[in-house]
Amino acid sequence: MIKHWWKILAVVILVYVIIVGMTKPLSSGILEVSPAAVAAGQRMTFNINTYNTVFEKGGTVKAFIKIDSLHLIPAQNVTVLSDNAIKAAFNIPEYLPNDKKSWSYPLILSDAQNGSFVRPSVISISQKEVNPSLGKQNWSYSSDIKLFQNDEMRFPFRALIYETIRNTYFHVPLWFGMVFIFLASAIYSVLFLQSANPLHDLNALSFTRVGVLYGILGCITGAIWAKYTWGTWWTFSEIKLNVSAIAMLIYLAYFVLRSSFEDEERQARVSAVYNIFAFVAMVPLLFVIPRMVDGSLHPGNGGNPGFGGDDLDNYMRMVFYPAIIGWTLLGFWIATLVYRMEKLRYQSLDEDY
Amino acid sequence: MGLANEIFFLIRKELLLEWRQKYAISGILLYVVSTVFIVYFASQNIQNQAWNSLFWIVVLFASVNAITKSFVQENSNRQLYYYSLVNPLAVILSKIVYNTLLLLVLSLLSYAAFSLFVGNPIRHAGQFYLALFLGSAGFSITFTFISAVASKANNNATLMAILGFPLIIPILLTLLKLSANALGLIQDSAIDTDITILIAIDFILLGMSILLFPYLWRD
Repeated sequence: MIKHWWKILAVVILVYVIIVGMTKPLSSGILEVSPAAVAAGQRMTFNINTYNTVFEKGGTVKAFIKIDSLHLIPAQNVTVLSDNAIKAAFNIPEYLPNDKKSWSYPLILSDAQNGSFVRPSVISISQKEVNPSLGKQNWSYSSDIKLFQNDEMRFPFRALIYETIRNTYFHVPLWFGMVFIFLASAIYSVLFLQSANPLHDLNALSFTRVGVLYGILGCITGAIWAKYTWGTWWTFSEIKLNVSAIAMLIYLAYFVLRSSFEDEERQARVSAVYNIFAFVAMVPLLFVIPRMVDGSLHPGNGGNPGFGGDDLDNYMRMVFYPAIIGWTLLGFWIATLVYRMEKLRYQSLDEDY
Repeated sequence: MGLANEIFFLIRKELLLEWRQKYAISGILLYVVSTVFIVYFASQNIQNQAWNSLFWIVVLFASVNAITKSFVQENSNRQLYYYSLVNPLAVILSKIVYNTLLLLVLSLLSYAAFSLFVGNPIRHAGQFYLALFLGSAGFSITFTFISAVASKANNNATLMAILGFPLIIPILLTLLKLSANALGLIQDSAIDTDITILIAIDFILLGMSILLFPYLWRD
């Protein structure tokens, strides 16, 4: 039992990841605001549809249009229509304290039940003429505002992604796990070349099999996500999809190479050499090339595959990092099972001779 | 005999073999000319974007064809004789250097043939020649090593393609970007980084070839 602690750990972590990752709610968010545009100097009532909110539980709801960090326009009157819909009336001043003729500003909602939430660039305000100094002079709203906080564990609300943000705990860790599994496979190949012990080669083979399985699972989870957010299962204009497909080709070629030998010793040696070479060649493919190409649809700036900053908040990290460990350990476990199977096959072949 | 000396002699041997048989260079010349001819007939009016892709595809396939024979043109007994005579590292390094020269000639020939039949839209010649050189080196390192791997297996020619093409993609993508810049298709401010990346990939693969070849040649 004590020998198998890491398998238990894998199961515990994955159960935690699935339960927490799938059941914790998303933060409140703003789905829709209409009308989307208003002229400066007008009084306008906006219909705001929200997600995961409970306005009917009571309490005042505050709403602000954020011009900049010092200038916020508060709503004069907020009416709750239902749990997920409110009306907010704003008096937009004649002059804004900036020189933007027409610009989209963020809307902030805040109440005791749901906490505070923002939708960036959602209300467009156009000014007939710009006069920043007059705008600053005549600004009558206080910049000293108190926003409510909600400390419940909730995952971030992102437009377009919505609930599929939970796929972060499956799609991304599967790719991480794949890299670790291929690394383990390459290490077994190095051990084989040093020791010429055929069991190391069987290990390398087993890990490569599981690595390819993880790659395929990563592709499938990614395709489902892409269908939901980008509207297509697969797109060849996206560099990361291409490089992951190529990585799969590299390792599928490994199996073809293995099957082209009759001599076992030679098969093990040559495929170990190819496996190490392939792993090293895959590193620039997966980690350098996507950074070189601009305009990736994946999160991160300019095609940078790094995951961080605004893409992950602290609550997501509490699930995401364990998920990487959990999926990797599960992959290792599957690989040891495949290895035992391969070992039995190898030994039974030995007896036949 | 030092390693450098051995490499020098082996390259001389390769050149001498080539000079006597004139198989590779005449084969390559005809291959390139006929492929470029086909490219020309298949699509008469070629835009710069297509020029870039077609050029590198022609060079890629010609390279694979030129290098596949590296480890199979001489019979295995004679190779065993080489391995017992010189350091096996000298064998692979000499083949890499020789193949780089061969591919450089090949890509310059392709460039000449493209200029003749299709047109020459290159704007920054220096950058393009650099891409040709780094490309030849990268193709040569990868394909020479893969041909050493494939020569140990039964189905040599097929394996060469399925093992080599996925591995060459990082180099090929960087080359396409470099030469797109040389063609004036894109304005890349970070072209130095791309060149560094290409050189780094070439060196990493060269290092791996040197490290792994000692395990490969023994039978």
